[in-house]
Amino acid sequence: MVKYTFIFLLGCTLSGLAQDSIKTKMSFLDRTAFKIGYSGNILWNNGLNFGAEYKWKEILKTKEKKGRQKNVSHQFLFNGNLGITTNFSTKTDTGIFTNYGLTWRRTNPKGKQISIEFNPLGYYRSFLPETYEVQGESVKKVFLPGRGYYAPSLSVGIGKQRKDKKLNAWYLNMNLMLRTPYNAGTLPSIGLQYGYRFNFKKKK
Amino acid sequence: MQARIFKNYKILVLSMMMLTVISCSNDDDLSDLNDTIFVRHKNADMPAYIHGNASEKVFLITLHGGPGGLGLDLRVDAFKNRIEKEYAVVYFDQRGSGMSQGSFSENELNIDIMAEDVLALVKVLKHKYGNDARFFLMGHSWGGALGTLTLLKDQDDFLGWIEVDGAHNPKGMYPEYIANFNRVANEQIELENNITYWESIINLVNSVPPTYREKYFFDLNNEAFRAERRLVDNNIINEQINGNNTFFEYNLITALWNNRNIIGIITNQGFWENVSYTDRLQEIEVPSLVLWGKYDMILPATFAKEAYDNLGSAEKKLVIFERSGHAPMLSEADAFVDEILLFMDTYK
Repeated sequence: MVKYTFIFLLGCTLSGLAQDSIKTKMSFLDRTAFKIGYSGNILWNNGLNFGAEYKWKEILKTKEKKGRQKNVSHQFLFNGNLGITTNFSTKTDTGIFTNYGLTWRRTNPKGKQISIEFNPLGYYRSFLPETYEVQGESVKKVFLPGRGYYAPSLSVGIGKQRKDKKLNAWYLNMNLMLRTPYNAGTLPSIGLQYGYRFNFKKKK
Repeated sequence: MQARIFKNYKILVLSMMMLTVISCSNDDDLSDLNDTIFVRHKNADMPAYIHGNASEKVFLITLHGGPGGLGLDLRVDAFKNRIEKEYAVVYFDQRGSGMSQGSFSENELNIDIMAEDVLALVKVLKHKYGNDARFFLMGHSWGGALGTLTLLKDQDDFLGWIEVDGAHNPKGMYPEYIANFNRVANEQIELENNITYWESIINLVNSVPPTYREKYFFDLNNEAFRAERRLVDNNIINEQINGNNTFFEYNLITALWNNRNIIGIITNQGFWENVSYTDRLQEIEVPSLVLWGKYDMILPATFAKEAYDNLGSAEKKLVIFERSGHAPMLSEADAFVDEILLFMDTYK
């Protein structure tokens, strides 16, 4: 499953880049936005999330409503995230994670956005405090203790563009990330992501 | 520019020094331990929270209820304020519980491996605090079953066993629920306490089959908790005073998810239907203390007598707390701690 998803996403990326070179002359930086924000569930786990989005496709739809034209954009973006999270009280749930996938985002004429971000590729590495491994009678201290998990995620959120600002949009997502295999199953974790997007577009 | 680099360099060096000092400050103060360590054993990483005074290197290892409970749930005021002043207490999140993590199959989540985990914890504690460390084992509720099996595997490292309202005989719980509900309901009806409720309990136990059925087992188990609240309302038992807030110490979603999973897995293994250690209690020979609430509706006090009668220990004691249910450490905390400290002082 993971293998096929990866191949699919790679195919999409190459196809997107190919289309890019044929259809438009936008530079890589013009198509790329970066984001930084809070990620966590406030009560137990808190952390930071960094990411980048690369615009793959944009479909502009024009609607006529009450005699006015409204332009609504639907974007498809490749995105990647890198995050860190911890529970400060016992430090038993610290980890870094990274995930990659596709985002669909609708932006209305007022700049209000809704988005769905699906990241089928994800990896979570937990970091544990002092850990000792017992095998039979032998006890050894573990170097860099922790575990790796396959960690796909899904986010649904809202946001708004901020014209003429360096941080050109904010977003607020509800995120579901799975960690598997976790104990004897798959652990769901739910959190919020709140942050800002920015880019390094050349000013015209 | 040079000055800026120098200034940043100074900050970096100072930060490193501070971090070094902070990271080392905790290590050797045995009289006031506040450690969290993980035990890695058979594909599970399990946290042990160690608090208290280990200057005598005497540790009380506590096994939480559940299965799927939280180690720190037992770190109630009575433990913090009194036991931890005298001894070190180890609160352990068992395999598949609390903040334990790992990657294992359902077959690797059973009481047998969990008992080996407890023995692995002992090895880690000896490795960290020295081979002269000595241990008492205490199990509450499900922890009573786990502690019993741990001792049946190896009791050499333990100075004593404390069973608190424990499930050493899970197979006996279902029929005992029926008998105990009938007994307590009739007693309360006679006292004219909550007659409607207790009559409904008699109707409930009359409607369930006499032999184990999973659904009815959990119906009766849930009802047992509600019944204890009624007994509190009627001032038959004391209210539970906890003073322990684990809300921020455990991610609620993780803890509930773990709890739900492990209960399902252990139940599917036929634990409540087929397992009993009563016949093997005679193999436990370390000094034993059996502590029970008289009105324990979850594990009725019949099991206290059963444990006491069958334990093979030459030195053993049974204490029934007259105004307690399933958690005497919360409802009669001072008397409870008195018994624990007396036992540990005697056999350490």
